Amino acid sequence: MKKLLILGYLIHLLLFTIFSYFFVDPNLIYLRNIYTGFAFDYRGITTFIYSLFILSFFVFYFLFLKLAGKKLLNQKDLIILVAITIISLFFSYPALVSYDIFNYIATAKVSFYYFENPYLIMPIQFVNDPLLLFMQAANKTALYGPFWILLTSFPFILGVGQFLITLFSFKLLILAFYLLTLYLIYKVSKNTEGLILFALNPLVVFESLVGTHNDIVMMFFAIASLYLFKNKKMLFAAIFLLLSIFIKFATIFLIPVFIYLLIQKINKKEVNWDKVFLLASISMFTIFLLSSFREEIYPWYGIWFLVFIPFIKNNFLKGFYLSLSIGLLLRYIPYMYLGTYFGPTPIFKIILMLIPVFLFLIYKVIKIGINSKIVGKF
Amino acid sequence: MFAKHKFIIVIIIFLFCVLTSSAFAKSEYVLPYPSTMPGSIFYKVSLVKEKVMQYWYFGNFGQFFYNLKQSDKYLVEAKTLFEYNQYLLGFQALQKSNKYFLKTKPYLIKAQSEGKDISENSNMLSDAALKHAEVLTDLEGQLPESFVWTPERDKPTNLNLKKTIEESIKIRERYL
Repeated sequence: MKKLLILGYLIHLLLFTIFSYFFVDPNLIYLRNIYTGFAFDYRGITTFIYSLFILSFFVFYFLFLKLAGKKLLNQKDLIILVAITIISLFFSYPALVSYDIFNYIATAKVSFYYFENPYLIMPIQFVNDPLLLFMQAANKTALYGPFWILLTSFPFILGVGQFLITLFSFKLLILAFYLLTLYLIYKVSKNTEGLILFALNPLVVFESLVGTHNDIVMMFFAIASLYLFKNKKMLFAAIFLLLSIFIKFATIFLIPVFIYLLIQKINKKEVNWDKVFLLASISMFTIFLLSSFREEIYPWYGIWFLVFIPFIKNNFLKGFYLSLSIGLLLRYIPYMYLGTYFGPTPIFKIILMLIPVFLFLIYKVIKIGINSKIVGKF
Repeated sequence: MFAKHKFIIVIIIFLFCVLTSSAFAKSEYVLPYPSTMPGSIFYKVSLVKEKVMQYWYFGNFGQFFYNLKQSDKYLVEAKTLFEYNQYLLGFQALQKSNKYFLKTKPYLIKAQSEGKDISENSNMLSDAALKHAEVLTDLEGQLPESFVWTPERDKPTNLNLKKTIEESIKIRERYL
């Protein structure tokens, strides 16, 4: 049964990888030979297939969690599951629903090919660059921190000026940080079930291994910082937190957690690490919510708080975060179907994001009601 | 009677052509607001910032923008100082503006040699040159030909304002 489930998951991942190529941009000259235009010509079917994939991703996820809960999924199984996930999705097309990877490559090109300051010079300044044909933020200077730009020098150099090699080198960088994060989470939590909760979460898998977002890199350095603090390496902890902030700035919201840790340290009090991780997740959830004031809540921002899920003991919060992770992946549906960011799209995005959260809350309320009735009877 | 009307129509057409063509000649390039002026404590800070920013604006396009930005800043500074009859300071600011303006084009040429498309930045430089020339031409009409600046307990300095402004305009005309 378990083997069959893993095989089914592998087939599902491979099919999803094929599906991702339905979204190849018409202007992406490097993939012209496999361009079908399917996702743009058949929006209804594409949206339906995407919804089915999201559903099946979560079905597999909850089945694996159930098996892990019954101690039927061991560490070796988890390694196999992670391995098939990263190998299958490494070959997926990354710009399925977000073009961020092209922005990363463009910023790296401005910095390490044109040798210009990406915080001053926009990619659009390089009029004849082929990246301008398909990237969507050519008129913006670098959006990310300097440490991220520095890190992107590795995949950019590894790409030897070939777009497709560069693209997959960027995927490799994110994949490496995904694995490093898993390793670190396991090292801190020593809990396989908790690790599955994060490692196979469809939002984490989709946004890191398909969408290739750098949020996993930022959160790796944040977790590493907490890990170093736990091991009394204060200076390195501070450096790693700074590095994390200099990737995407959001982890600046972890500074209060570090202040709390420092106060505990100065007062020579025992640190309650469960409380620390809970505070960290709430802190990152706060910045996640605040991001709606800047632009909008992007699905991959969910990684900011989901990374703490293996350490959280509170089942309600775990359930809340998981239901939100479902809702975040549903946010892509309105644009996928309507093909516009305007009109009813924004409101549908919010509604779809909140439906799983409301269902979870209703479920919790009903459960509390049933429990209190049972208690009342006795 | 008809000849009189014809004459008026010709005059109107002539005026229309002359006035509209002079409007088209104006540059739409926008110069910055005047920043801190010499004498202010913040002026020294701005000088330090100017030096530091030179390294922040790395790359040939970066250096082009940096030098153009500084040239704009000092031109506005010179104009403001001249308007307040601070001729020596205005004169020095104009010389700095010229120095920075002269550095712009070489960076664009370097960028071009690296294979970068410089057409848009070249257009920007032409627009800037036109705007600078407009400002300088206005100033030329307002300032005395020369001025002897006599500071307290120091030797007087003869400032050949007209000649300097004419040279400044020539520098800009090179990049038009």
